[in-house]
Amino acid sequence: MAQCGGGDVSRHRKGHLETVESLCQGLLDDVMLDDDKCRAMFGYLQEWQDLGSMCYGSLGGEPPLVPEASNGSGGGCFRKRRPEACLDAKGESNSVCKRQRGKQQQPCDRDQMAAVGKGRPERGRPGARKKAEVASPKGSPATSASTVTAAQKTDYIHVRARRGQATDSHSLAERVRRERISERMRYLQELVPGCNKVTGKAGMLDEIINYVQSLQKQVEFLSMKIAASNPVVNFNIVEDLFGRQRSQAACNPAALPAMTTMPIGQVEPSCLQMSPLQQMQTPAGSSGFGLEMVVSNQYSPAAGGPMSAAAAMSVPVGASVESCLNVNGAAGWDIGSHSLFSGFDAPFQSVQSELLIL
Amino acid sequence: MSSRRSSRGSISEEEINELISKLQSLLPNSRRRGSSQASTTKLLKETCNYIKSLHREVDDLSDRLSDLMATMDHNSPGAEIIRSILRS
Repeated sequence: MAQCGGGDVSRHRKGHLETVESLCQGLLDDVMLDDDKCRAMFGYLQEWQDLGSMCYGSLGGEPPLVPEASNGSGGGCFRKRRPEACLDAKGESNSVCKRQRGKQQQPCDRDQMAAVGKGRPERGRPGARKKAEVASPKGSPATSASTVTAAQKTDYIHVRARRGQATDSHSLAERVRRERISERMRYLQELVPGCNKVTGKAGMLDEIINYVQSLQKQVEFLSMKIAASNPVVNFNIVEDLFGRQRSQAACNPAALPAMTTMPIGQVEPSCLQMSPLQQMQTPAGSSGFGLEMVVSNQYSPAAGGPMSAAAAMSVPVGASVESCLNVNGAAGWDIGSHSLFSGFDAPFQSVQSELLIL
Repeated sequence: MSSRRSSRGSISEEEINELISKLQSLLPNSRRRGSSQASTTKLLKETCNYIKSLHREVDDLSDRLSDLMATMDHNSPGAEIIRSILRS
């Protein structure tokens, strides 16, 4: 590691390098990174030592490593060894704020090259990377007074290219985006139960989708139950669902049978079934059921029309019952007429029998 | 869908996009938004909010239903229907 500077580095600088490195090594071990990661980085640095020497040479007299940099936490260690980006005159080229979208050409093609080769494994773990970035100070030696700059720039989102990552503005913007997405994902992970067992983005998305669907079904189910039990709500739902058809029917009363959207032959039995029910309910005085309200409020008893209207209006009740009976099935309101009527019949039979008992 | 995933756990971008659009179709205001491709960040944020609102709704409806059940006459036909629903 001490050879990182390569042959071009002077003896003096090398001495600095060694002390800094030992300091940083200690800090790294203490503070934030596990040994494996540390060593991986150092190994990587060694691999690119000629690159380092090239850039140090090209940058002339400016010493790449200033001992004070080791006052920071371990993050500064590997950061300041990054060849060009940190030594760029600005000293902040590696902490580009997200609004800086201009086409600033970074002078570190080599670093981008490195990104192609080495950047991948780090990207796989956005959380870990973010933590590391938080822990690291203003990396470059030029900005060792890190607290000042940090205070100045709190209104920006700082992204920082790690070693081996591209530093052009597009890559940085992309990185910001990914950070945000993973942050959201973590938040969603808290919201969705059982989501933290799933690893991987796709699995999490799957889980989230399932959860949203199940919540939607739950809401539907509950509102159906309430609708089935509460006459007022029931009435409202019926009105919502059949408002369009009713307005059509109001314009053209002859369209009433057609608006049931099912063969008349199927409508008739339900009408026949309905009428005794109504006759029974009214004298019994049980006001707890929505059908009466629908019929009496919406349709003045006229010949022909009211019956089919009653059938049409009663359909939602049957549908709600049916969909409640099998929640896991298709959505309740557009099931076929057959299942609709089978679901419709059953509870009404029970109602009828109960009324008879009463 | 899961069969297409490689064992390494790396998923193709298309699959993610597929899931994202699926998620988007689940959100209530996905239709009124003209652009089909909203940003993922926004989408996830909306999902958060939507899940929260669904939670609230479920709680609210459960409360209402339990209130209804509490106040309802046990012999009324409505109660009978609810009981039959709940049994199933």
